[in-house]
Amino acid sequence: MNALPLAFGAPYLLAGLLVLPVIWWLLRVTPPRPVLEIFPPLKILAQLKQKEETPNKSPWWMTLLRLLLAAFIILALSEPVWNPRLETMSGKEPVAIVLDNGWSSNEEWTARKETAERLISDTQSDGALIYIVGTAEKANTDIGPFDANTALERLRALTVRPIPVDRSQAFARLKAVLADTKGTRLAYLNDGVDEPRAAEAIKSLEGSGIASMIWYQPSIASLVAIRQATNNANGLTVRIVRSSIDTSRNVVTVGAFDEKGRRIADTGIAFNAGETAAEGVIAAPYELRNDFHSLRIDGTAQAGATYLIDDNNKRRRVALLSGSEADLSQPLLSPLYYISRALEPFADLLRPRNSELIRAVPELLEQKPSVIIMADIGKLPAETEQTLSDWVNKGGTLIRFAGPRLAGGSEEDPLLPVRLRKGERSLGGALSWKEAQPVASFPSNGPFAGLPTPQDVTVSRQVLADPSSDLFEKSWANLADGTPLVTGETRGRGQLVLFHVTPEATWSNLPISGSFVDMLHRIVSLSSNAGTIAQDSGANSARALPPYLTLNGDGALMPPNQDTKPLITSGSNLSVTFENPPGFYGVEDAMTALNLFKPDSEINPLARPELNFPVTTARYAVDESIPLRGPLFALAAALLALDALAIIWLGGHLRRRLRTTAAASLAILLLPALIAFAPSPAQAQQNDSKPGDQAILDAINVTHLAYVITGDGPTDDISKAGLLGLSKALADSTALEPGDPIGVDPARDELAVYPLIYWPVDADANMPSSEAIAKINAYMQQGGTVLFDTRDQDAAAFNLDNSTTPSTQRLRDILSGLNIPPLEPVPGDHVLTKTFYILQDFPGRYRGSPLWVQASLNEDRRSDRPVRAGDGVSPIIITGNDFAGAWAIDANGAPLLPTIPNDPVQRVHAFRTGINIVMYMLTGNYKSDQVHVPDLLLRLGN
Amino acid sequence: MAAIGAQVQKTGTGDALARARQRAALLPDLLVEARRILNTVNTGWHGRRKSGVGESFWQFRPYTEGEAISRIDWRRSARDDRTYIRDQEWEAAHTVWLWADPSPSMLFKSEQAQASKESRALVMILALAELLSRSGERIGFPGVTDPTSARNGAERLATSLAHAGNLSAKPDLSRIKRFSEVVLVSDFLDPVDETIATLEKLAHSGARAHLIEVYDPAEEDFPYRRRTEFVDPETGSSLTFGRAEDYADGYRRLFFARRAALSDFCKRIGWSYTTNRTDRLASEALVSVHMNMTANVGYQGGAS
Repeated sequence: MNALPLAFGAPYLLAGLLVLPVIWWLLRVTPPRPVLEIFPPLKILAQLKQKEETPNKSPWWMTLLRLLLAAFIILALSEPVWNPRLETMSGKEPVAIVLDNGWSSNEEWTARKETAERLISDTQSDGALIYIVGTAEKANTDIGPFDANTALERLRALTVRPIPVDRSQAFARLKAVLADTKGTRLAYLNDGVDEPRAAEAIKSLEGSGIASMIWYQPSIASLVAIRQATNNANGLTVRIVRSSIDTSRNVVTVGAFDEKGRRIADTGIAFNAGETAAEGVIAAPYELRNDFHSLRIDGTAQAGATYLIDDNNKRRRVALLSGSEADLSQPLLSPLYYISRALEPFADLLRPRNSELIRAVPELLEQKPSVIIMADIGKLPAETEQTLSDWVNKGGTLIRFAGPRLAGGSEEDPLLPVRLRKGERSLGGALSWKEAQPVASFPSNGPFAGLPTPQDVTVSRQVLADPSSDLFEKSWANLADGTPLVTGETRGRGQLVLFHVTPEATWSNLPISGSFVDMLHRIVSLSSNAGTIAQDSGANSARALPPYLTLNGDGALMPPNQDTKPLITSGSNLSVTFENPPGFYGVEDAMTALNLFKPDSEINPLARPELNFPVTTARYAVDESIPLRGPLFALAAALLALDALAIIWLGGHLRRRLRTTAAASLAILLLPALIAFAPSPAQAQQNDSKPGDQAILDAINVTHLAYVITGDGPTDDISKAGLLGLSKALADSTALEPGDPIGVDPARDELAVYPLIYWPVDADANMPSSEAIAKINAYMQQGGTVLFDTRDQDAAAFNLDNSTTPSTQRLRDILSGLNIPPLEPVPGDHVLTKTFYILQDFPGRYRGSPLWVQASLNEDRRSDRPVRAGDGVSPIIITGNDFAGAWAIDANGAPLLPTIPNDPVQRVHAFRTGINIVMYMLTGNYKSDQVHVPDLLLRLGN
Repeated sequence: MAAIGAQVQKTGTGDALARARQRAALLPDLLVEARRILNTVNTGWHGRRKSGVGESFWQFRPYTEGEAISRIDWRRSARDDRTYIRDQEWEAAHTVWLWADPSPSMLFKSEQAQASKESRALVMILALAELLSRSGERIGFPGVTDPTSARNGAERLATSLAHAGNLSAKPDLSRIKRFSEVVLVSDFLDPVDETIATLEKLAHSGARAHLIEVYDPAEEDFPYRRRTEFVDPETGSSLTFGRAEDYADGYRRLFFARRAALSDFCKRIGWSYTTNRTDRLASEALVSVHMNMTANVGYQGGAS
């Protein structure tokens, strides 16, 4: 032992200090540089005799400075280490070495092992017996006594376990072994982290024959752990905790890793001063978030800083589909509004970018939603239906909501859990004897079991299920009168759910109640993959999950070792033990994460208890060794800088000129940077035009009427001539001056730029492709209008056997693929009768076929209203009167085809009909509002 | 440690002229004692404090027999019983040569000095030029301008000096005639023997000279300490002293001995020798030179 706790790595280098006197002598004889002085009377000076020939000495302080510099460098090269170690273990009495090898020991494990090794080597000469105890070891591990060599082997075999230490068990065993020995000296190398039974366990050592104790306690200032990670709408919220005495570690970075250990996201979390807990959000897209497998705090190597994430933590993706156009100006009437408000907090919502169902559904399915919600979609294209059906069978959950379209849809819809009756039931209305119905308490066998019965929810309209034997089992929620409100069915591995009301508040107030949120939450959480414990947690059966991957002491995932046992999931009380270290349990597709930290865990420092035998506090040797090499070199460097400054000063080189040149050179250095950052001339605008842009621009610069090219030459010619004639008539009579009519192919062309598409139905032409139907469907949903013309009134009028004409049949075929609202013939007070001309009859070449439009919403007719109020424009108009034939004109403006009967007045009326239709398209319900203007003016006048 | 003295840039004459004007304004018009009245032909602007040909009144003196009666001032004579003659003052112009040392040793300025020696010399020359030309003297700069009389003599001299280019370190004294005044401003640091040889030539030509020694405080006080290398700005030769402070006394002795030699020489032949330290005001030396030029010093006959 040295008198000073100072050791040298290369002591022979200290001999270099002998050189110092030589350096001193050398420094004394070297004169400093003379000061240069301009002196005009030099000739006079030259007459003086030189008196003193020896040069001036360096100032004494400069000599000292340089000697110190040399001394520091020599000292630094000899690698001094400041290392106090005072406690030894020499003596013949037995020695017990207890090591904490729990999760928090890992980062300083080498130092602890070295300390223990030194203690063992201290005892070697005296041959004392040694006990080695790890506090995180299996209960039946052999703890000694050993001789020094075996003890060293035992010590080296000890590893850090990613589990909390069990001091009471370890000390109990030690006490049992030491029962009949006296004077044992105990060295407790603990990890400094408190646990609930620590004080009690250490206290129990009193009276066990232990004579003294050396207490090694490390600083736990750098310990930090993740205790919870939860998914929410913005990202993954991570809660971390640090040791309560910590002041240094204020900011940590948490990285998220995927299954293969790749780092895919991270976030920085800062502890507030004086707080031991902090939380932060890893903001990442949910696709990325679902790939999170584990979280780890950067710069740590212990199990507490690793947090494992299993499938239960993943957010569900819910796709939303709606049958009606999304009206952004009236969000409360949008069918998906309440659904998205209800689901946003706990699910990620997907909306299709494409409005055509045939494309939207595959697009959504590509994003792998757990749930698809369809609001009032009555008719699905056959392909889509098949796709969805396959998806449900593979485990998807399809939730549908009723509505006018569904009510009017076909009875045989395979994507419904129950058969529906045609039409809807209205309760509490003027024509109904029944009151609006409240909701009965949820059946105990359904998924809503346990939810509180909604008290304030009433249903005034619903679609009715056809009674069947299994209806009761399929009913998840009922009205007070027993009719089902929500029905569900398991289809394959997936589920079909139908809400018998609309998703907005028109049919019932369920969507604006809290129960709606709970119900959707239940269904969405049910949609998780089979095999996770979320579905099994309700059942009381305990399951044994085999270990899949477990953490090691470094916090890395490893295959389980032979000590690891299956995890028994009885209830939620999963604890980390020696047999169940933290890790993933289960099988690859359905893993359960067992984490070291619980959401309320803390890291507290271990307090040294008062014991009835002497306790010495010591420090881990390596903890305290301070290498002095670096500071000494730094000191030498500082002296060197001082010396350089002194030389410059003595030489008289510190002039103001230096400063000015420095400023000038700085300016020169900065100049290129300034030039580089100067704003560059405006860059040429990027050309991002795409092919076809010009056609679209042409189509929207001027309003054009459009017709569908059927492929039948004469028909298309007539369509074109007819729309040309109508355009001319419009230009003559109205403010609208349409451009030339344009023929479109619904399968290829962009339809959204045309307000009205005229579709002459031709039985001889090819049936439009499903793609074309899908596009027409989307066009109608987005606010466009299609005018179907079967041109068969002449045939229909003489059709005595009431059979349909080929054109009408073809029209039905086309419409069967379209998602169309209920229709009605134009009522006498429809706005179409008065948009430009007052009309009650809509003739074309023929007269007599009714004009079909979308049925108005409120059917209660009021005689005092001059016109029906209504929102939007009918997306579909159907006639059989061959409008285009009546409108068609040749190049001279003369009509091409005679009207039947040949009556000029009928042609005039046909044009008026066309003008009214176009005005209706372009102005919407403006005209129906206009009729109120006299009343409004009257009111204003009053 | 920074050097005490430094070599400075040559002073622009425009700047020096402005400062010279300030200095000249402090002095009354310079009235040069014209000792050689008879030989000076040009009628000057100002009186010579002698009765003679001129326009200004000089004195009344009693009439003596034989003088022209027309010269009697009857108005004055009527006051009392005597008869007075009115004398006019002699008015004549004088030639003054001004010379400032342009050698590199003059471009020296130490920390204590207000201006470099060259700058100070130029200021004094121009101030004298201003004063002299104001009183109608003919001023010239040997090697640069011939003596001319002009109201704006100082400006002319400044302009000529600005365009003169490199001047020779020694003045060209060959054109200086008898009865002229010469003002030499320099540091007179050349060996005394050489300087006196030059001056003796001038003395033989019959001119009267006024020497102004301009010197830097550092040159007189020798404030240098420690190890110092001294460099001559003219020759570039250098001399290193280990402990400069040890040489101060010896140097100062030599310095003053040189000055005493020059001063004695001037006193002996009736010239004036004035010193000016560059940390003092230029006016002090100017006043002194002014007095010397106007005073009727004892010597009347030029160099013998």
